[in-house]
Amino acid sequence: MKLALALVGLFGLHMPAASADPLRLRADALATTASPAGLLVLDASGAAEPGLSAEAVVWVAGGQALDDRAHGDVLVMAIDAHSGDGARAAKLGRFVAMLGALRPVHVDGGALRLRLPRRFDVALAAGVPVLPGLTTHRAWDWLAGGRVARRLGDWGSAGVAYEQRRDAGQLVTEELGVDAGAAISRRDDLGARLAYDLANPGLAEVGLTASHRGAHVRTELYVVHRAASHLLPASSLFSVIGDVAAQRAGAVVTWAAAPRLDVIGDAGARRVDMDLGAELVLRARLKLDARGASAVSAELRRSGAGTKAWTGAHDKGRLALAGGFAVSTELELVRPDEPRGRGALWPWVLAAVSWDRGPWQAAVAVEASASPEYLRRVDALCQLSRRWGAP
Amino acid sequence: MTLGRATIGVALCGLVACAGVLGLTRSGPRAFPHRAHVIAGVSCTRCHASAGDGVSAGSPASASAAASAGDGVSAGSPTLRLPDDASCTTCHQKPHDPRSCLGCHVAPGALAALAEARDHLIFDHRRHLDGVANGNCMRCHTGVADGDDHMRPAMTTCFRCHDGDAARDARRCDACHRGLADQAMLPATHLAHDGDWMREHGTRAASSSDLCESCHKAAFCAGCHGRTVPALPAARRFADPFAASVHRAGFVARHSLEARAEPGVCATCHAPERCVSCHAARGVAGDQHASPHPRGWIGLTAADNQHGREARRDPAACASCHGGAGEALCVTCHAVGGVGGNPHPPGWSSRQSLGSMPCRMCHPTGSGATGRSR
Repeated sequence: MKLALALVGLFGLHMPAASADPLRLRADALATTASPAGLLVLDASGAAEPGLSAEAVVWVAGGQALDDRAHGDVLVMAIDAHSGDGARAAKLGRFVAMLGALRPVHVDGGALRLRLPRRFDVALAAGVPVLPGLTTHRAWDWLAGGRVARRLGDWGSAGVAYEQRRDAGQLVTEELGVDAGAAISRRDDLGARLAYDLANPGLAEVGLTASHRGAHVRTELYVVHRAASHLLPASSLFSVIGDVAAQRAGAVVTWAAAPRLDVIGDAGARRVDMDLGAELVLRARLKLDARGASAVSAELRRSGAGTKAWTGAHDKGRLALAGGFAVSTELELVRPDEPRGRGALWPWVLAAVSWDRGPWQAAVAVEASASPEYLRRVDALCQLSRRWGAP
Repeated sequence: MTLGRATIGVALCGLVACAGVLGLTRSGPRAFPHRAHVIAGVSCTRCHASAGDGVSAGSPASASAAASAGDGVSAGSPTLRLPDDASCTTCHQKPHDPRSCLGCHVAPGALAALAEARDHLIFDHRRHLDGVANGNCMRCHTGVADGDDHMRPAMTTCFRCHDGDAARDARRCDACHRGLADQAMLPATHLAHDGDWMREHGTRAASSSDLCESCHKAAFCAGCHGRTVPALPAARRFADPFAASVHRAGFVARHSLEARAEPGVCATCHAPERCVSCHAARGVAGDQHASPHPRGWIGLTAADNQHGREARRDPAACASCHGGAGEALCVTCHAVGGVGGNPHPPGWSSRQSLGSMPCRMCHPTGSGATGRSR
């Protein structure tokens, strides 16, 4: 509480007249025969004052398949404070720090965001990278970074981010990121991000996307470039073997073919080293009622490049019944180009019954599959959830 | 020719047969004919008499308290500013059906959408009607005369006037929206989450993460990107097949194909050692004495030496097993003076000092004799 009050004082929070968010708690219990394993997740959030909120997600688990160290952990535990006009915001605790074009990092630390005059924004983040397990003994690892961005009128923004991370004092990541987003018209927008590895100079990641939104059709063009050697820690021996990048480019068309029918097509190409492959997806989704509570979907996919290419089909459906009950099913068939003795067809199927009534949710399912790992496998899953506070 | 005609005929028959399911025809209630009324010169407030009464939306006394079979909302509820039967029979003096007018003359889902807007929007009709709209409802409800059954104006319509509002600049959705996270409503008009959003969201979020945070809390991002994720959100919602996820369905079977098709993508969320720890826990490829590599993986001739090409193509896959102490295996051949030669490509450079890891593994004396450039 003292920490929260300190944040309030630090930011001089101007409390708006609106009421604070209610306190919420959600508990999810999941059990499966796969290991067997059980999982209990507690998710809580709330606001003591408008402009000052907190959230936490913790879990405990048991089962043979789990790592001995991972019987419980904290996913998020953070206090968030922001001024009434949103010009100043701070976060403290365990959370995922995001600095523009750089990859998100899970940290125990703090983040600060300020809106400055002349439409400049500054974001800073620092902390200790999270390690799985409730360990108390850890090396003195840290990361720090920041982003400076400028809003361009009402139609876009551009930013530059920098991050440095060290493990036991040794440099493992030093990256520079550039991001930009623009709504060039009411129906057209652009997005771009670029991450450059400064430790072993070279492009680590590039993403470009441009979309046009029509009355019934949305079209998106995209390009992705990723160099795995630059995404590894700089202390890894495999970060020194070159810039063989993978690229993907294509177009996605989302067509509202009928009031209840959406058709999505993705056609592109993928290149990994010298291998070139096609990336094709055709998906249709039909709502069986006006709200989409019941729906069916079918998807055909061709993916991968070279010997790692595969062809697959994925069908799914959900039917809402009376009394909060629903039945759902999914079926996937994958056919690898080169089975390499691991089966020519990998089927996967799941059938579930769920019930959602007031604060309670429950579901049971049977999952069956054949894969490179198992000739055949059947699992049962069970989930029970309860919500307290606001829905 | 006959086959072509038959195909077209079958397709047309199929379309006609499925028209109802596709939503192309409606056997039940249909959209209210606003256009016909506008053309007939009926003003909006003649039927929607309470539209300018000044009661703000967002009132907890919403119409959702009432119930009807279709939408769970009562037609003719005054809190939705809808006309009752008496308003209709002022002109339509001989109704063709004894049931309530809005029981049929309204689009499916429209009343529920109105009630949702009523509950979740902070909006004062009177201020708008008397002010900027100057009594013209169609200034905002632009689609009504075109037969649009979605009464709620698009958010871009709001921004035609509210351009540059402080609340908008501050990403304060709660200036207009109440309980946004409870609506389970994806943004339809300002940031559509459609297409391949799983791939696209990273690029979009890079320049507008504060916009994302206006709906999504920290746990939402951490649910996938966190290092301590016990199970992905979709795995905990296995009964909802339409929950978006990168690891849906039979991902366990195809994960090696997907990982190698996009080298490095796994590192977005996972540490490099994730592969080997999971494989060891599951007892898959964990036998340290049996090599998983094919014949010809390593040798003294180029034709008998695939590992170099594969390592450049997918270094993350190598690092997943050979990272850390396992790197010593590579150094036995690739150290300065070793038979493996220089693993660096032409023009490669680094800002790391030769005394740091991993440089010192091959350059024990700080020598750049392998041709490494700095």
